[in-house]
Amino acid sequence: MGKTIKQIAIYGKGGIGKSTTTSNISAALSKLGYKVMQFGCDPKADSTNTLRRGTYIPTVLDTLREKNQVKPEDVIFKGFNGVYCVEAGGPAPGVGCAGRGIITAVQLLKQLKVYDELELDVVIYDVLGDVVCGGFAVPIREGIAQHVFTVSSADFMAIYAANNLFKGIKKYSNSGGALLGGLIANSINAPYAKDIVDDFVERTATRVVEYIPRSVTVTQAELQGKTTVEAAPDSEQAKIYARLAQKVVDTTESKTPSPLEISQLREWAAKWADQLLALETGEVRGTAAGI
Amino acid sequence: MANLTERPRHTCALGGAIATASALPGTIPVLHAPPGCASNTTWTQAGGCGLQLGGYCGGLSMPGTNMQEREVVFGGSERLQELIKNAQTVMEGDLYFVLTSCVAEVIGDDIGAIVKPFQDEGIPVIYAETGGFKGNSYTGYDLTLQSLWENFIPAAAERVPEKVNLWGIPPFFDAFWRGNLEGLRQLLRRLGLTVNTFFTAEDTLAGIREAGSASLNILVSDGYGTGAAELSRQKHGIPYVVSPLPIGPAASDEFLRSVGAALGLDRQRVETVIGEENRRYYRYLDTFVDCYNDMDLQRYAAVAGDANYAPAVTRFLADDLGWLPEVVAVSDVLTEEQERAIRQRLEKLSSGLRPKVYFTPDTSEIRRCVKEHWTTEAGAKYANKLTPAFVVGSSLERELAKDLQAGHLSVSFPVSNRAILDRGYTGYRGGLRLIEDLIGVIAVNR
Repeated sequence: MGKTIKQIAIYGKGGIGKSTTTSNISAALSKLGYKVMQFGCDPKADSTNTLRRGTYIPTVLDTLREKNQVKPEDVIFKGFNGVYCVEAGGPAPGVGCAGRGIITAVQLLKQLKVYDELELDVVIYDVLGDVVCGGFAVPIREGIAQHVFTVSSADFMAIYAANNLFKGIKKYSNSGGALLGGLIANSINAPYAKDIVDDFVERTATRVVEYIPRSVTVTQAELQGKTTVEAAPDSEQAKIYARLAQKVVDTTESKTPSPLEISQLREWAAKWADQLLALETGEVRGTAAGI
Repeated sequence: MANLTERPRHTCALGGAIATASALPGTIPVLHAPPGCASNTTWTQAGGCGLQLGGYCGGLSMPGTNMQEREVVFGGSERLQELIKNAQTVMEGDLYFVLTSCVAEVIGDDIGAIVKPFQDEGIPVIYAETGGFKGNSYTGYDLTLQSLWENFIPAAAERVPEKVNLWGIPPFFDAFWRGNLEGLRQLLRRLGLTVNTFFTAEDTLAGIREAGSASLNILVSDGYGTGAAELSRQKHGIPYVVSPLPIGPAASDEFLRSVGAALGLDRQRVETVIGEENRRYYRYLDTFVDCYNDMDLQRYAAVAGDANYAPAVTRFLADDLGWLPEVVAVSDVLTEEQERAIRQRLEKLSSGLRPKVYFTPDTSEIRRCVKEHWTTEAGAKYANKLTPAFVVGSSLERELAKDLQAGHLSVSFPVSNRAILDRGYTGYRGGLRLIEDLIGVIAVNR
């Protein structure tokens, strides 16, 4: 008891690289000497795969389905470099209520009071991309995570999802919920991609925590069932993840974002469409071309 | 656990929470629920709580959000906000206690976020997550108490040495709740203690708010309210003792000694009270014993009841009254640990009697177990006929009593054939009261 545990939630559009990023943050933090737990809050239950050599672990909800009482050792498994891995799990696709499942799993872990016992420094919730119902907002409510990070690429749909998440954070900001630590820009290779993301964070009053380029190293590592931090510790990509992890864990003050209204977002996107078109047709405009 | 419970003796968690919140002084329960939750639990109570129901803004008049499909799809936060605001203008309460239903829990409305702005304005609103699926009425009782300890009772700077809190008797689902709490409070006061009992006419919200300064929590139940005791121990640092529900002198002696030991009270002081209470108790029995013997008022007994009453009544019958309990049916669904605790209590009756113990929530199953025992015993050569018999149970044991041609007294929920106001069976006086009621059933046709 006594030690404050840093609790972080990571959101973003499905398929954008949340679990990859989260697992690499967890792995990097463990190498920096932090005691970390990664809590996958997605019914697919594949958040912690690359921390455990591509294997799946029994989920909280599967365990709960089998028996009435769940013990910490039934659902908490050690992964790479001692990172504790938990998967909330959920019902089969098309049945039941995955949102309630997340509420049940998060509350259960809280009740087990394992965070103090394991003397954790950091808990990271890796949450399903689209916050489709109340259940998926649980990690950002009062008393759970303090900081939210969103993973987004420069694709419009990813930005759109991030903007939606900002709306959720703003809604809960008055009642003690988690605030926004910043945006983790993923798959940033083209110069214009950085510009798009930079422009978006400026408009929504947040910041980019780190730019992560798309890299074949990540793919190679994942195919081996490993994080980049584990498979290629000396790679440039691993260094970027280490930097990101440090920045995430160093975040002490998060803010309320200013999400864009849907019409503003459309307008903003249209402006960028024009610029990209100009870029493609050879019309030179300084900033967008990155010159 | 069985696949079905036939004629269950409880409601869902929300039902227990509603009963508990409405029993608190000056408290208005505020329901975040679809239509039906309030009336279902109200009519269940009407059918089982000794004709006690509702009260000011309880029962059918309690405020509720009346959630419709619209709230399910779009979230019910705004509706609840509106209701809390309106409830304050039309209902006079010192505490508004928001309770959530299954529907609210499934859609995941963030009740904490909804009540916080009210709390920030200094409006006394708290909440408990009591979705019906969380368990039965006893779970709801526990969750509501937990919320009080978590959200209403601040940690105290200092402990008051001889101050205690007492719970484990769920309002309404123990139809004798007030009398039972008062009976034990009266006893504890004789030890010189200050006692908070949360739910009686003497209790106040101001008093409850100070519960954090107590030196001991006393839980008179093996199963009800344990979560709250544990939470209070962890959050407020108040230790707790668990005692079975004390009915009659044998159990009450033990109860007082265990509280005395937990508080480190002077033993002589405790023994003096025990001595005086016993003298009083047996002085009353003095004038009853001749009739008891001459009129053959001893009975073979079957006891059916919840986890509080079944062992407590059995002990009283066996160790104090001198009846012969043959079968005990505990009608709650319990954990193995709780079952073991109850079994152990029933294995060490000082009378040396060893009744058969069954754990089943099923009314027909209780009837079958008891009848089977009665027939087997009666069928054997040189058999003891187990007659005359008496059934102490709930109103659902009426058929069983008829089968055995036995007297019948409803004590455990549901009690639908009695009107109960301040009656209670705890302590030494409660033992006398129970004797009056049991013998009253036998003597009624004289």
